[in-house]
Amino acid sequence: MNAKANKNHVTSIEPAYYQAITEAIRKEAAKILKDETVVGVVGYLPGRRKGTASPALVTTVEEAEKLIFSPACVNNLSVYLTKAKKGVLKQGKVGIVAKGCDMRALAGLMTESQLQREDLFIIGVVCPGVYGFGVERTGTLTDANIARKCRECTVHMPEGADVAAGTHTELADLTPEEAQELARIEAMPQAERWAFWKEHFSRCIRCMACRQVCPFCYCEQCLCDKNRPQAVENSPRPAGNMAWHLVRAMHLAGRCGGCAECERVCPMDIPLNLLNRRMAQELKELYDFEAGLTPVDKGPLNEYKENDDQSFIK
Amino acid sequence: MPQIITEQNLRNLIDLLVKEAKLVVGPKLSGSVVLYEPLTAGADLTLDALPRRSSKELFFPICEDILSYKRENGAMKVKDVDRSKFPEAVLIGAPPCDAGSPAILDAVMSWDYKDEFYLERRRKSTIVGIACTKGDDACFCRAVGLAPDAEAGSDLFLTPLKDGSYACNAVTEKGQALVAAHQNLFAEGAGAEPKPFVDQAVAKLDLVKIKKWLEEHFENPLWEKIADICVGCGACAFICPACHCFDINDEGSTDDGVRRKHWDACGFAKFTNHASGHNPRDVQNKRYRNRIMHKFKYYDDKFGKTLCTGCGRCIRACPVGIDIAEILETINTKQD
Repeated sequence: MNAKANKNHVTSIEPAYYQAITEAIRKEAAKILKDETVVGVVGYLPGRRKGTASPALVTTVEEAEKLIFSPACVNNLSVYLTKAKKGVLKQGKVGIVAKGCDMRALAGLMTESQLQREDLFIIGVVCPGVYGFGVERTGTLTDANIARKCRECTVHMPEGADVAAGTHTELADLTPEEAQELARIEAMPQAERWAFWKEHFSRCIRCMACRQVCPFCYCEQCLCDKNRPQAVENSPRPAGNMAWHLVRAMHLAGRCGGCAECERVCPMDIPLNLLNRRMAQELKELYDFEAGLTPVDKGPLNEYKENDDQSFIK
Repeated sequence: MPQIITEQNLRNLIDLLVKEAKLVVGPKLSGSVVLYEPLTAGADLTLDALPRRSSKELFFPICEDILSYKRENGAMKVKDVDRSKFPEAVLIGAPPCDAGSPAILDAVMSWDYKDEFYLERRRKSTIVGIACTKGDDACFCRAVGLAPDAEAGSDLFLTPLKDGSYACNAVTEKGQALVAAHQNLFAEGAGAEPKPFVDQAVAKLDLVKIKKWLEEHFENPLWEKIADICVGCGACAFICPACHCFDINDEGSTDDGVRRKHWDACGFAKFTNHASGHNPRDVQNKRYRNRIMHKFKYYDDKFGKTLCTGCGRCIRACPVGIDIAEILETINTKQD
């Protein structure tokens, strides 16, 4: 259709594109390790299985030369900079490979004073997209195997990074499946919508993968782990599951960077990013807030303005 | 004499068992995922994908009530769960990596403490396993000593044949009884050629050598190398056919509530967190080390079995791509 309208829009992203990014990342990572700009670089290494990748913290030039970028580099690595998970930042400045969507998380974490820009060296990736779950991992990204979130990506360019690897290229004519699904659910009568989520949450096993991969779920004591007294049922039962996911959606409102990691990692295929998107929509309408690539002074729910919409107070 | 059952008769068998008021559990499409769920008809059975969660939940449910309590006239009344009401169950269509799990777990569940919830369900269940002709690059059952046609754990074992029917082998008395009670659905004969199995990428592992290495390397840089990236969720443990840790929570109020037993995972930071605040597994790689140690050393020490069936679920599901088969291969090739 309009594939020719923009020369950056193509029907497939070939392995060569990712290879070029890989080379650029390796070069940059080796350089900043060698000149001791950073103590380590959080990036991706290839997995055992064909077409897979895994996060890694590399600290030597030799290791840096094994880093990759491919459509399998799905993880939002910013999760390794927060929480008790990783003490990397304590050791000094850290390099991190970040796609646009990951950079929104970094910006959000800076807004929340969890990270300082000067502690990071961001190797931005001009990312055309990554694999969806359970797709064919051929090395080439197409309409058939691109992740749902990437179909509507607005942050191909990692603006604000220290360096950017890649040139702007994206797949043409991607249907906005997630927006369509959101609209479909929004159009449902309330009872039907409730049933939709109830069914999904009934399958939740409370493995907490959604929480653990979320860069913004950095509370040291999660409300949902409390048992004396219990705030939300700890056991994986429909009522507690529902409560957990709603609490989480609310707690992420105005903070979520939209990386959709929670949805990607859910072993039960619960479309969690629909909740995040719905909340993002709400924040846009109420406070004209959108998660972006630049840190702000205060998140929308952390400040009060005289002209804030108060129509929801009944 | 070998017996054969056609696919249609296998589905008819499910229909009959449902009519007999048995709880029939098998792979079934639930939303967009295949899970082991109660089948209401033979047509529900879906044999083209490995269910996302293992079949352990038939014996060890994700969450179950173990007692309830209520304060009445100032006195606390505790009511036990009537386990005699657990239904007679038939698990149908579990591949060896799932059907084989009770054969591993029975040991721990009937050890110093008898888990009567698990054991009562085990006594009342018959497992119809099925040889696996699928598989992907995460599968490694052969590497841990099982095989796509391993009968361990199955009472009746089906082997898919090229003509779409199944060769049946009644492995135990329970299996024989199931066939005998529905003899008209089975035919005698050897049947067609079996469907071929899929090759696996991971070579057979030397589990004795791995165990020995684990014994000698509780402290080793490998743990940091492979597990510092672990984000500490419970996905691997929850979908694993062999992981069996659980937590117990009292839910409700101080006057009226239920004590529940539900899945837990050694990957969670709070798993070993003491009331004092001290956590002996204070960092994630120590928690991940426990996962490997438990599966390939501790369980073997105690029960002479490996706590892994090579189903590959944890490999497919790990949010950060931790690949247990790769780790085992690494240990397997270690010289020190």
